[in-house]
Amino acid sequence: MTEARKTVGMELHHAIVSHYSAEARMLQNRQYRAWFDTVIAEDIHYWMPVYEQRFVRDRRPEPTPDDAAIYNDDYGELKQRVDRLLTGQVWMEDPPSRIRYFVSNVEAFETAPGEFEVFSNVLVHRNRRQSEVYVHTLGREDKLRKAGEGFKVFSRKLILDARVVQDKNLYFFA
Amino acid sequence: MNGSAALVDNANASQSRRVFWDQDVYQLELERIFSRCWLMLGHDSLVPKSGDFITTYMAEDRVILSRQPDGSLKAFINSCTHRGNQVCHADSGSAKAFVCNYHGWVFGQDGALVDVPMEERCYHNDLDKSKLGLTQIRVETYKGFIFGCHDPEAPSLEEYLGDFCWYLDSIWDTPDGGMELLGPPLKSTLACNWKVPTENFVGDGYHVGWTHAAALQMIGGELSGLSGNRADMPFDDLGLQFTVRHGHGFGLILNAASSIHVKRDGYIKYINETRGAVRAKLGPEREMLYVGHWNTSLFPNCSFLYGTNTFKIWHPRGPHEIEVWTYTMVPKGADAETKRSMQREAIRSFGTAGTLESDDGENMSSATYNNQGVITRRGWMNSSMGLNREGPHPVFPGIVGVSFIGETSYRGFYRFWQEMIDAPDWAAVKAGDADWDKMWTNRNFWPERLAAQQAEPQD
Repeated sequence: MTEARKTVGMELHHAIVSHYSAEARMLQNRQYRAWFDTVIAEDIHYWMPVYEQRFVRDRRPEPTPDDAAIYNDDYGELKQRVDRLLTGQVWMEDPPSRIRYFVSNVEAFETAPGEFEVFSNVLVHRNRRQSEVYVHTLGREDKLRKAGEGFKVFSRKLILDARVVQDKNLYFFA
Repeated sequence: MNGSAALVDNANASQSRRVFWDQDVYQLELERIFSRCWLMLGHDSLVPKSGDFITTYMAEDRVILSRQPDGSLKAFINSCTHRGNQVCHADSGSAKAFVCNYHGWVFGQDGALVDVPMEERCYHNDLDKSKLGLTQIRVETYKGFIFGCHDPEAPSLEEYLGDFCWYLDSIWDTPDGGMELLGPPLKSTLACNWKVPTENFVGDGYHVGWTHAAALQMIGGELSGLSGNRADMPFDDLGLQFTVRHGHGFGLILNAASSIHVKRDGYIKYINETRGAVRAKLGPEREMLYVGHWNTSLFPNCSFLYGTNTFKIWHPRGPHEIEVWTYTMVPKGADAETKRSMQREAIRSFGTAGTLESDDGENMSSATYNNQGVITRRGWMNSSMGLNREGPHPVFPGIVGVSFIGETSYRGFYRFWQEMIDAPDWAAVKAGDADWDKMWTNRNFWPERLAAQQAEPQD
């Protein structure tokens, strides 16, 4: 398959990849308020649908935001998730777990002046307590727009590869 | 095995830690509980039309649930009768037949073996296909909820639910059509014994303020008063606990059905519009249940929060692991937008990234795994909260505990757990029907309490 559209030029590609790296570092450093304020647009739809294992011949449509989803948040709802982490009362994060993100396969397309559709893959490692290790792989489909010197995301669709999630929770932002 | 007296001590409201750890205990559970009790399979709403199927589990057995052309349901073991390969790998769909990937054996939507490749040449008409259908499972429904059972001697589903039907009817037999499940299920694993979340859902009002302190603070509203277990938190008249003959039970928070939901306007409107009809059909006590919040478990391993409307099956995977399935349970009569909103809020709070659910996983895993230590697991766990502040009630069936924060339902759950572990068959269980609740010796608790409340001057 060759994508008919052309990806953005080198400078823009570099800017978007750097943006993703900075975003990941904020989350790794638990700077949730800074992440929310600098990366998330007010019209955000933050969405992680539930995908069933279905036969190829199954003609039912793909999940929509009206269907079961692990995340299906608007701006206020995402903010509440951040607020929970900042209460200091999330006992499972005391001592804190570690999370590390590996973002790759970035392909960015300009869909309108200053707006971009960006595909990427995200590998997430969480280390909890003494020896618990959890690994997740996700596909990510973002819609970004230029915001000041950087970018904000107004649509994020996360495609979880696992049908059965092997982790104590999926309460992290990707 | 030293017998179940080494595992459950009802007189002291205590359980050995071995119930969460021992492989022997787990094997006994598979034989005595999961092979003999009614297990949750789903709801009519998941398989509405002929040909619709879902694949699920009964404990560790893989099962296909399939809607038949005549409207009935069949459930059968998802393992080919030839060499054992899993017949259907899809979570759900519509099928008039299931074809095994290994040798191409074809089973009908009722599990019968209908076709075998090259039958004439390979089997020379010696194969009796009628004896090679997928192993059938007894299926019954109650108000649209579908259960399966492996034991032909088990009572009917309705007898198994017993007095709990009186409670369930408050929400499942309402004039507006009761409730249904929305799929597909969220699925995750958790390294804990299956009874840890089951006991938590059956009766753990005590953990809500502490485990979920952060989320309650964030959500605000009537339950935020519980956050952090503040000294001034409301306690008296917060609610009740219930437990019945076959171990089913729940805790009730009065007037709090939608309180975990943040966006709840549609839900509140729906309850206000329908509660009068519930009162007319089922009476004022069950109207009180209808508008309250329930934390519930159906013995052995199905739980739900009515109000929050999350619905769980804790599929055991050995003694130290479960696969968690999460559906949303909604009133059938609510409009589509209200149902969607309920689903979003139920999953937001109790899905795999749930604002409350995300607090529970470590407690449950740790409560299991600490018993890896041989000294640790010689200990006994305590479930004595509210002991003797409970008893038979003139209106509510079973045994009723005086507070939503108490362990009445734990004691009832483990009482029946022990009874099933000990019973050689269902006949032995039935023999105990007449005095099943004798361990609750304070028979006058409620008559005296209610009389005292009547005698108080009215405000």
